[in-house]
Amino acid sequence: MDKRYDFTQAFAEADRCLLCHDAPCSKGCPANTDPGKFIKKFKMQNIKGAIRTIKENNILGGACGILCPTARLCEKECAGSHLDRPIQIGKIQEFLVSHGRQIGFKVFEKPESILEKVAVIGSGPAGLSCGAELAKKGYKVTIFERMDEPGGVLRYGVPSYRFSKAYLKTELEDIIHLGVKFECGHPIKKDGEAEDLLNKGFKAVFIATGLWDAASIFDENTEGVYNSVDFLSSPHTGRLDIVKDQVKDKQVAVIGGGSVAMDCAGFAASLGAGDVYLIYRRSFSQMPAEKEERIESLEKNIHFLILNQPEAYLTNDKGMVSGIKLVRTQLSQAKGDGRRSPVEIKDSQWVLDIDLVVEAIGNKAFDLSDKLYPGVDIDDKKLIKARLDNCQTSQQAIFAGGDIVRGPSLVVNAVCDGKTAANAIDSYLVRRRAKLTTKEG
Amino acid sequence: MNKNDIDLSIDFCGIKFKNPFLLSSSPVSNSAEMVARSFEAGWGGVVFKTLNSDTTPIIHPSPRMNGYGYGNKRLVGLQNVEMISDRPLKDNLADFLYLKKKYPDHVLISSIMGFSNDEWAYLARISEDNGADMLELNFSCPHMAVEGAGHHVGQAFDLIEKFTNTVKQCVSIPVIAKMTPNITDMTEPAIYAKKGGADAISAINTVSGISQIDLDGFIPKPNVFGIGSVSGTSGPIVKPIGLRFISDMAKCEDLSLPLSGIGGIETWIDALEYILLGASTIQVTTGIIHYGYGIVEDMIEGLTDFMVEKKIAKVKDLVGKALPNLKTTDKFDLKRQGRARYDLTNCVGCGQCYTVCRDAAGFALEWDPEKRRPILNEDKCLSCMICSFVCPVSGIISYTEMPEDWKRQDACVMDRSLETQIKYQPFNANPLISS
Repeated sequence: MDKRYDFTQAFAEADRCLLCHDAPCSKGCPANTDPGKFIKKFKMQNIKGAIRTIKENNILGGACGILCPTARLCEKECAGSHLDRPIQIGKIQEFLVSHGRQIGFKVFEKPESILEKVAVIGSGPAGLSCGAELAKKGYKVTIFERMDEPGGVLRYGVPSYRFSKAYLKTELEDIIHLGVKFECGHPIKKDGEAEDLLNKGFKAVFIATGLWDAASIFDENTEGVYNSVDFLSSPHTGRLDIVKDQVKDKQVAVIGGGSVAMDCAGFAASLGAGDVYLIYRRSFSQMPAEKEERIESLEKNIHFLILNQPEAYLTNDKGMVSGIKLVRTQLSQAKGDGRRSPVEIKDSQWVLDIDLVVEAIGNKAFDLSDKLYPGVDIDDKKLIKARLDNCQTSQQAIFAGGDIVRGPSLVVNAVCDGKTAANAIDSYLVRRRAKLTTKEG
Repeated sequence: MNKNDIDLSIDFCGIKFKNPFLLSSSPVSNSAEMVARSFEAGWGGVVFKTLNSDTTPIIHPSPRMNGYGYGNKRLVGLQNVEMISDRPLKDNLADFLYLKKKYPDHVLISSIMGFSNDEWAYLARISEDNGADMLELNFSCPHMAVEGAGHHVGQAFDLIEKFTNTVKQCVSIPVIAKMTPNITDMTEPAIYAKKGGADAISAINTVSGISQIDLDGFIPKPNVFGIGSVSGTSGPIVKPIGLRFISDMAKCEDLSLPLSGIGGIETWIDALEYILLGASTIQVTTGIIHYGYGIVEDMIEGLTDFMVEKKIAKVKDLVGKALPNLKTTDKFDLKRQGRARYDLTNCVGCGQCYTVCRDAAGFALEWDPEKRRPILNEDKCLSCMICSFVCPVSGIISYTEMPEDWKRQDACVMDRSLETQIKYQPFNANPLISS
């Protein structure tokens, strides 16, 4: 993780805040974080109040402070930018959350769990925030997680140098404190099982399973070619030593231009790779990764091979990948949508010698994921169709949010969905309760 | 204990305040339109801008304020030459009626200043007749140039007693006397106010000062078309002065009146410090001038959280809580000594500690030019802690008490050989006996 603020630094940064009358930063967060409010509170020495403002709105406020691309969210409209640079809102936010833990401040009293049981499938940011919100309202929440430990993408998808697992543990403790129960190592995998939870005492289900099947470039499997999911999760699935051996002092190629590709390249570098090449078929500025991430990658000495498209993997006599056949591309003239696409340059093929390849071209839903919820409408990419304003699926009592609805997206958007779903589930169950009372009456 | 157990309300002169946070009499309490908005924000009451009786025309100088910054920090002080209310009396009284009608559970305190005994009586009566819950007698405005008004009264103690007495004769609502800090001992005028019948004392009004001079024109600021003036300084820089006067009065047994603390309050911590030294309400202007009425939300939330943490449910149980620990310097236990302790883990190597220790303290630091880090010679440390005041990183320098047998090294003498040339005889405390 980046060097974090201590009290003096955080306070000095907060002191730079202009306390804008109509705080544009507070309009920039998908999860409705209100930096204008918590920074003012911090500045006025109302430190617990500042922490409360963050955590009441977002149980994963610390994680978001670290992981959010703040430059294009809250910090984007910061009036401080017109003086010199925007206030480092994410870092102040992270400091406040950590400081709260250091002084033993608990924002929430343990709520009484007196309402209905609700099941959440998946313990990533969407599931966690939904679970926490429901628990605060008094619901009995169980989160089912197929992996051995909770956190989803926060544990298995983000490298530790960006977000430490010790930090995740502290965020999870706040959620456990609210009374949320975790069933880890408990995949929901049988046909119809997600919907069947409604017959097992749960009155509503929130599906937040995320996207964990990695797309691959070529059909055949080649030894030495990882997908981003397996590569990034290796420290937490007992395969770190193997991966380390394969990476240390070796030539590593990462294919892709998104945030996950940057993480894969950074992770490879952190394991001591000899050289890391990042292969992307479009231009630098077209990379979906955040600008800061791209620059960080450059600073880590990762070689950007832009305008290059993989054509095939070459293997050695043991069947291991030994090179990538690439073809150079150039950008076409902009078409209707304005995005210039790469066009292969004739006879420009070349071979990059390589010991290991990581494909990071995007995650998708598991092939058979739809079988778990046959009554729920999905689209052709097997993403669940749910309304963004209430996370309602086509089936009553089943809600969904996060990447399994949106496709690959930000942690903070998943948090937003979790909150939205919790409110929608609450209204649904309030209506249901009212109906039952009327019937009984 | 949680925040629902906390009661911020407080009794002050028999009147219940929903919380101890009030606007003081100033530009921030100039009209009902403004005060109403402050009540919506959470303030518990207002001391309305000092009324005038329309007999003396009030025209504010222009410009009327100067902001005093320190380094990058704006408004650590404020200088102002504003007068009492320039609004017609009837406008202010209509605003009184509006506020009492719309906000009956907020306390309305009418600040008044007369230029004669009759005028004091008139303004007092008319305030009570139009809904004021209390009066505050402004004996302390530092820029009313008229003899017998403002802080000229505050410095002439018999007038304080006389005017207070006049007011008390003609109203039944409680009366606060507001003190000027531009004197040496505030308990004296406060006791005169008490003799006149005052029910409470508020302090401090602004401190007479000059904050800045325009170097091009040689004109003190605010520069009112070529002329500056000694005038009222307020804001965080005057807080130590306010705290001192409040504590003096709180400790004065002859006085024993409720106190309203004023001077440099912006945060709940500032307010709490006044309360801990004996104030049971506090008043704010400059903090609002800097940040707006919204700061009261943080005062309420911050104080509530503090009370939860300390398991103290009522504000009145905080009033004066630091007074038993406030004593004169002769009560210090000088046998107990300590020194600074350094943990250089997070040191950034700026060397400010080294500079100040050499030039202002015990020469207890050396500088390692290779590592760019200070080295503490513990036995030379004076425990002044100046180094910790300038250190930009938290947690590096702390204070630690030393065992009783620890001896601090004496400051070095540059040339002992010069001792033979000293013209010197030991001071004899009782020369009569020796001769």
